[in-house]
Amino acid sequence: MKFYGVSVEERKASGRYTVLRYRWPGLVEPGQFVMARAVGWPVTLDPFLARPFSFYDHDGEVASLLFEVRGRGTALLDRAHKIEVSAPLGCGFQLGSSSGKAALLGGGVGIAPLKILGRRLTELGVPHDVFLGFADAPTAGAARDFPGAGMATMDGSLGTPGTVLDAVPNLTEYGAVYACGPNPMLAAVKRTVGPDRLCQLSVEERMGCGNGSCNGCAVPVRSGGYVRSCVEGPVFRAEALAW
Amino acid sequence: MVVRERKTETRLAVELCGIPLRTPLIPASGTLTKEALGEVEGVYGAMLPKTTTPAPRAGNPPPRVAETYAGMVNSIGLQNPGVERFLEGLDAFDIGLPLFVSAAGDTLEEFGALCERLGADERISAIELNLSCPNVECGGLTFCAGPASVEEVVAVCRRATGKPIFAKLTFEGVVENARAAESAGADALTIMNTIPALTIDAHRREALVRGGLSGPAIKPVALRAVYDVCGAVEVPVIGSGGVTSGIDVAEFMLAGATAVQIGTASFVRDPKEILSELASYLDKVGLDTADLMGALSS
Ligand SMILES: Cc1cc2nc3c(=O)[nH]c(=O)nc-3n(C[C@H](O)[C@H](O)[C@H](O)COP(=O)(O)OP(=O)(O)OC[C@H]3O[C@@H](n4cnc5c(N)ncnc54)[C@H](O)[C@@H]3O)c2cc1C
Ligand SMILES: Cc1cc2nc3c(=O)[nH]c(=O)nc-3n(C[C@H](O)[C@H](O)[C@H](O)COP(=O)(O)O)c2cc1C
Ligand code: FES
Repeated sequence: MKFYGVSVEERKASGRYTVLRYRWPGLVEPGQFVMARAVGWPVTLDPFLARPFSFYDHDGEVASLLFEVRGRGTALLDRAHKIEVSAPLGCGFQLGSSSGKAALLGGGVGIAPLKILGRRLTELGVPHDVFLGFADAPTAGAARDFPGAGMATMDGSLGTPGTVLDAVPNLTEYGAVYACGPNPMLAAVKRTVGPDRLCQLSVEERMGCGNGSCNGCAVPVRSGGYVRSCVEGPVFRAEALAW
Repeated sequence: MVVRERKTETRLAVELCGIPLRTPLIPASGTLTKEALGEVEGVYGAMLPKTTTPAPRAGNPPPRVAETYAGMVNSIGLQNPGVERFLEGLDAFDIGLPLFVSAAGDTLEEFGALCERLGADERISAIELNLSCPNVECGGLTFCAGPASVEEVVAVCRRATGKPIFAKLTFEGVVENARAAESAGADALTIMNTIPALTIDAHRREALVRGGLSGPAIKPVALRAVYDVCGAVEVPVIGSGGVTSGIDVAEFMLAGATAVQIGTASFVRDPKEILSELASYLDKVGLDTADLMGALSS
């Protein structure tokens, strides 16, 4: 995999998360991701693998990532002035076939791809509402970048108490649902939305390579067996997934 | 310096079982997908897709990969579409290089039938036998559990095809197994595969992945295996295990390897850089790849 060294142009806190910006003049589709790491080979023997992150935003020139510091890979990324990124990877959200108004649902750091998705839907003139679910008020600080979004917190300290689904007043008014978050949340979204409406889910599975080479990022599919979430996904139509 | 004036092309070329390779680098089986071929143009001397088996295999449930210091542990479970669909899609791997195919079966009979099927396909230049899979007729011990088993399976494959066959062996008992493979008619040996390993997430108190360790962490082990095997057999040896830089490639060739496979490293680096590091090294020492083989000063 080819990695490109880029400078971090800006870094800011967003709730408990970090938003990091770097110059990327190429094309980016909403729902695509990058493999990213702090500094380049050979300093990267530990942590060894790059980490996958969804694009948070892209204005044609500058890309941004929104991430939560979970372990060493993200801790190093949080401090780095120079990072290495792959080109945009994977299949993102399919936007053409949406009928009527769209609901964008994000859970925790899974709100990341909704920003660029909302931007693109606005450009296409597709009406949409954004709903965000967080654990608590401090993490919900990340909602500031989503003016007008509905919100829920698990501890009830802000917005509707409960999950992101509890923040949606009437799910039936939407012709399309796009969601990203922890896999149990996505399974709940799939159940709630049902089979009759367009529902696309951005799944999170552990990755080795990010470009389809290792077969590590397996997601079970209804047609049998597994597919690679880095190439066939990370965005899947809900009905294709076997969960 | 005559050597310095030779074109990089000729300087990198090697020959493996009579097959000319533009460079000594080969992708390790299971680590390069057809979707990524565009990125590796000019790097490799041959193509080698993921292992194929007689019937489709779904592979293991996730998690399948976990990281370790300087490497990773994988438990993919030989996910593949089965040999018939594999052959239907094989043209995608035809990028004008010799095409090697990795094969595995559950039984001796399956290995034989698979080699016959692959051997009859004109697109394929050689067959690599992935012998680290379990032999279901021997209580699940792998086909490289010991020299008798290696000799038996290689002999079956030898009878099934006239194409060059490479026996890919694991670390354990590698020298004995290498001799057995050679005497059963293997044309070359791929040394080695991943090493059994486990990762645990202490915070969640759960075992993550029980599988095979690969990457720079295993390089010295693979280097030793290649060195020892090269001292014990006449057939060419293909090095595999942790190769991550051009200098690593040179080390494997100095240990006696004719060609070298790049696996896990291609997930974290551009393999083009590995080739250009090798070219710079050759410039510096004033040698061709073909001269490197086993050329340790004693
Ligand atoms: C397609 C895709 C898009 C992603 N987009 C984003 C994003 O936009 N923002 C963001 O913050 N994160 C995102 N992630 C998750 C991100 O990749 C992980 O948080 C990151 O790899 C953690 O690395 P680390 O070194 O900090 O943690 P590690 O040290 O690797 O792990 C720390 C802890 O997190 C757990 N963990 C690590 N990776 C994962 C994973 N993939 N899924 C579940 N648990 C994990 C480990 O079990 C461990 O307990 C995405 C993942 C995928 C697959
Ligand atoms: C994700 C992954 C999948 C692999 N799949 C196969 C396979 O299908 N067949 C095989 O013979 N070896 C397979 N291997 C082993 C590699 O071909 C190689 O021998 C091993 O990883 C050591 O080399 P490396 O450290 O350069 O990766 C796989 C390795 C990895 C990391
Ligand atoms: S992460 Fe390697 S195939 Fe998807």
